[in-house]
Amino acid sequence: MGQGTAERVAPPPLVVTRRQRRRISGDGVFRAIAVAAAALILLIAVIFVVALVIPALPAVTRFGLGFFTSRTWDPVKTQFGALAAIYGTVVTSAIALLIAFPIGLAAALYLAEESGLRLLRGPLSFAIELLAGIPSVVIGLWAFFILTPLMRDKVDPFLNHTLGFLPLFRGSASGYGYLTAGLVLAIMVLPIMIALSRDVIRAVPRALREASLALGATNAETIWSVILPYARVGITGAVLLSLGRALGETIAVTMVIGNRNEISASLFASGYTLPSVIANEFTEAVGNVYLGALFYLGLVLVLITITVNVLARLLVWRFTGSEPTAA
Amino acid sequence: MKRILVAVSVAAGVLLAACGGNTTAVTNPSTGGPTMPIPPQAALIGAGATFPKPFYDAATYAYNLKFSQVSINYQGVGSGAGIQQLTKKTVDFGASDVPLKPSEAAAIGGSDKVVQIATTLGTESLAYNLQGISGGQLKLTPDTIAGIFLGTIKKWNDPALKTDNGSLNLPDQDIRVVHRSDGSGTTYIFTDYLSTVSADWASKVGTGKSVSWPVGDGASGNGGVASRITQTPGAIGYVELAYVLQTKMMQAALKNHDGNFVIPSAAGATAAANRFIGTSPSQFSIVDAPGNDSAPISGYSWIMLYKDQSDKTKGTALVDFLYWLVTDGQQYAVNLHYAKLPSRMASYDIFVLKDVSSGRSALLSVSS
Repeated sequence: MGQGTAERVAPPPLVVTRRQRRRISGDGVFRAIAVAAAALILLIAVIFVVALVIPALPAVTRFGLGFFTSRTWDPVKTQFGALAAIYGTVVTSAIALLIAFPIGLAAALYLAEESGLRLLRGPLSFAIELLAGIPSVVIGLWAFFILTPLMRDKVDPFLNHTLGFLPLFRGSASGYGYLTAGLVLAIMVLPIMIALSRDVIRAVPRALREASLALGATNAETIWSVILPYARVGITGAVLLSLGRALGETIAVTMVIGNRNEISASLFASGYTLPSVIANEFTEAVGNVYLGALFYLGLVLVLITITVNVLARLLVWRFTGSEPTAA
Repeated sequence: MKRILVAVSVAAGVLLAACGGNTTAVTNPSTGGPTMPIPPQAALIGAGATFPKPFYDAATYAYNLKFSQVSINYQGVGSGAGIQQLTKKTVDFGASDVPLKPSEAAAIGGSDKVVQIATTLGTESLAYNLQGISGGQLKLTPDTIAGIFLGTIKKWNDPALKTDNGSLNLPDQDIRVVHRSDGSGTTYIFTDYLSTVSADWASKVGTGKSVSWPVGDGASGNGGVASRITQTPGAIGYVELAYVLQTKMMQAALKNHDGNFVIPSAAGATAAANRFIGTSPSQFSIVDAPGNDSAPISGYSWIMLYKDQSDKTKGTALVDFLYWLVTDGQQYAVNLHYAKLPSRMASYDIFVLKDVSSGRSALLSVSS
């Protein structure tokens, strides 16, 4: 009893020990909740992969690695191969990056550099964020009704006329196909490309830039031989992150790619992509092998995009020292 | 999309009629058959094919107005998903444009465990986009259709097309084939037709909801194919009749089994269906039908349910509803450009519905 009274009247200690503070503020409880939440994310990821592998098994055991080299996709004879879809995914993403990379980098340089017209920068940044926020199905709708006739009647004939000596630009154009899909993807990855490159370029130490200018280099020389080499790793990361977005894009591509399971040299030709096949066929895929083949495609796609994304994040992270933001 | 609009307007019309106290619009017994059984209170869930969904939506809405104690929720998730949900017993009935395959029936516990009824009838058109050639002018035969979809006929001025279309000025233009990219009953019926009329097609491609197409581009849904055709000069594709009528696309006259060129119509589908005696889930194909007016690319749509219903009340409500659907409910199909079930098929449906039981007592109680 006496002890209790003594404790009650004792003045509070001036310095609270770590352990005491933890007990007072409930840090321990919060910590447990946070750890559980983090572990849950990991658990969901694991369950997700397992849930993808199990239904894929009938197709994996039946087709094995031959799945990657076969271009047959015949639900009637239950023969499936992913080659045409992989090819279409790679080609459309490559076109997207070829277009988005130079434009995105130039825009990022403009936005990151101190010089230039300040007036335009605000509206431009806003426009980029606006572009990033447009749902892909809306872009697809626009592409289906506006872009494809334009490609068929103007762009494709022009390319055929001027660059027709290349097999890439031969053949009759319907407006649907690899090139149109690549162009749509370019529009969709451009905001990511610009925003990330801008952050990376801004992270180049000011001292380096000023030293270059002080040595008498022009602005262009500074960008070319100081800023870009320094930001190289980060920009590569931005490209890879854009690639990850392009690889997985489904609905807008499905609307303009032509959905044809074939491999053609011409960029005017119709093709297929991994996400498009899945989106198109899952509702009526009857039978373990057919459904399994779709899950197998999903597995391939997940593996590709996870690899690309992890690689990209590591690169961007290493450079800016912080998590990249999407826009 | 248009068809959904029509479905809504039909439903709205029904609602107005009901509000006006004019109940004859709802109960109008078009068949003049026996009185409808009064169903017990129940909430039913169905899932499956998208092709009959506008009809089911309009019909279930009307049925709910008539018998407010029954609510029916139909989800157009695709035939494959519908069959899977029925197998897992998460729905009370499944719907598909093609009856259960033996492997699917086995998964459900054998074909004697389910009852399958034909609920409506549809027909397909070949829609095209050719400047200067209006609807119905282009004539196609089984051989030229197969040639176009096999890729052996590549140009619109191909000699094979010219023989049937002597008076038409067919252009020197590439034929752009459009087909469905998603698995669908529409594709099944069309490839069933091609396999029937062309040995080449049967051996090279075959019949299925998704096939490996020799030529052409894929577009999603009837609406997607219709849009692609309207967008692309020189395009041709197979589309449900309703989409052609509602989007005012040009459609070809098709040479049927008897050698007549017919413009596909709902009446033509019924005429075709009427020529087949003994249609059942195991013998359901009605493509390339004989008869003067038969529309050649036609097919039924099906609903499947368990023969033994574990919940007696629910089961009773289900068979009562389905009985109405294949009799009085048919009027809602006609408004949406589906074809009316031939009476022979409706009789078959009622016959097998009487097999549905719960604890050995039959659930359907009608006198006919």
